[in-house]
Amino acid sequence: MKKVILIFGVLSLLVFIRPVLNLNASTANTTTTTVTTTLAQADDVQEKTFVAEAIDGIKRFYSFTGFANAQSGNIIMIIIGIVFIYLGIKFDYEPLLLIPIGTGVILGNIPFVAGYQTGIYESGSVLNYLYFGVVKGVYPPLIFLGIGAMTDFSSLIANPKLMLLGAAAQIGVFGTFLGALYLGFNLPEAGAIGIIGGADGPTAIFLSSKLANGINILPDGTTVKNLIGPIAIAAYSYMALVPVIQPPIMKLLTSKKERLIRMKPPRAVSQKEKMIFPVVALLLTTFISPSALPLLGMLFFGNLLKESGRTERLADTARTKLIDIVTIILGVTVGASTQADIFITQDSMKIFALGAISFIIATMGGLLFAKFMNLFLKEGDKLNPLIGAAGVSAVPDSARVVHAEGIKADPHNYLLMHAMAPNVAGVIGSAIAAGIILSFLG
Amino acid sequence: MKTIFLMTDTISEGYIILITGLLIVFSGLLALTWFFKYLMPIMLYVYKIITKGRDKKVSEISPKVNKQFTGEIAAAIAVAIHLYLNAQHDNENAILTIKQARKMYSPWSSKIYGTQGNRL
Repeated sequence: MKKVILIFGVLSLLVFIRPVLNLNASTANTTTTTVTTTLAQADDVQEKTFVAEAIDGIKRFYSFTGFANAQSGNIIMIIIGIVFIYLGIKFDYEPLLLIPIGTGVILGNIPFVAGYQTGIYESGSVLNYLYFGVVKGVYPPLIFLGIGAMTDFSSLIANPKLMLLGAAAQIGVFGTFLGALYLGFNLPEAGAIGIIGGADGPTAIFLSSKLANGINILPDGTTVKNLIGPIAIAAYSYMALVPVIQPPIMKLLTSKKERLIRMKPPRAVSQKEKMIFPVVALLLTTFISPSALPLLGMLFFGNLLKESGRTERLADTARTKLIDIVTIILGVTVGASTQADIFITQDSMKIFALGAISFIIATMGGLLFAKFMNLFLKEGDKLNPLIGAAGVSAVPDSARVVHAEGIKADPHNYLLMHAMAPNVAGVIGSAIAAGIILSFLG
Repeated sequence: MKTIFLMTDTISEGYIILITGLLIVFSGLLALTWFFKYLMPIMLYVYKIITKGRDKKVSEISPKVNKQFTGEIAAAIAVAIHLYLNAQHDNENAILTIKQARKMYSPWSSKIYGTQGNRL
């Protein structure tokens, strides 16, 4: 870490002494030109002009380097990128996401001269082609395919009422949506910001690419802002911070006695039920919210591949190679989309604040709804309200957090399987919510 | 939808989306809950009744068991295949290379630091 800081110190020093260097270069240039003009008759004119040309060339080269073009925004973003990588490696906060995104942030903020098809927002550049999949919402459904192929819905099938906890956490989505409206965002932008509360990176990217992509034109003639970068970064970084955000809220809203509640182990689920689930859930959810078809369709398709028992090869590819490839490209391009001149705005700061609030509201929604459901349940069937917190998707991190909190209260209370049910229901719920927002505002 | 857009400001439009959105999400997942709680057991029961008749047919078309073919014969064949696939020692590589194994000095293997005597 010391070395990294040292390297950065040197780099930023180079950037900040740039004006001095520039000054030197220009004075040197003027002196050489005066020399060449005064000694025009001399025989060594050829040599002088050669030197001048060489210096000119070096100056031009310098003007193309990152040192000449760096702005404080770029440096700040590069430091943020390094912090992401550091968090991913050191604290193991979703390293599979933070390391590609962190690298992407660095890539996107290397200063360059515009017009040479380098940057992610310049049409024709390689990064721009990769970014196409983000802008058009191609990658999120592919990620969902992989998620479907790795998710086991059996705990949800065994205890279907836990589905409602996944729905309750979606109050975070709509609450944030309202908050964004109050902060002065227009309707489509607010919708895209709200979905951060769904705690689902792919869904957030999907919805923001449809609503806040910088292309759509509002009824009053203005163009929506491009908020894909800030929304995706906010969603992913708060997802990575679930182990930090959720536990205090859990402790605040549940009593010690409630945290000790032991739930009945879920019943065994037959393979037939597991096979029926994706088909029925696909039909039901997409009939209710057809706009979420790309997400939910792929999610349940992936799950059917897993559970059918006949397509293990396809399921295996979807949940390993395919999702890895898409995650790599998605992470880097989303990271690179945070080019400082587009990313460091007041809107991004507001989005980050709203994102934190949305996670808090969503967690509270799940916890309180679990307590509310307990009012109607018999003594033996009561829910441990902690699992409500897993209703914010963030699979499987929030379920793990719930499990860890349960273990803290009672070392023999294993909540992981119970928490997975609202967790996966949260994925379905946030996809439905995205579909609803899209159908209202798209 | 258009009329709502024209008649109301964004905040109240937001509230409309908030309420309807939450309602739809809840009803959607509630529908799923009910399906898996009530409809699924019925479906599985019906499926069981329907397929009960067919099970016998499946047993009818299963191939006749050859009584000559005992487990011992199967075991003998399996062993033969196993030996054939795993015990092909005849084709071993005849080239032998003897690598010189001169050990570098290491304090870990040094006799000075033996366990007996010479305590430091």
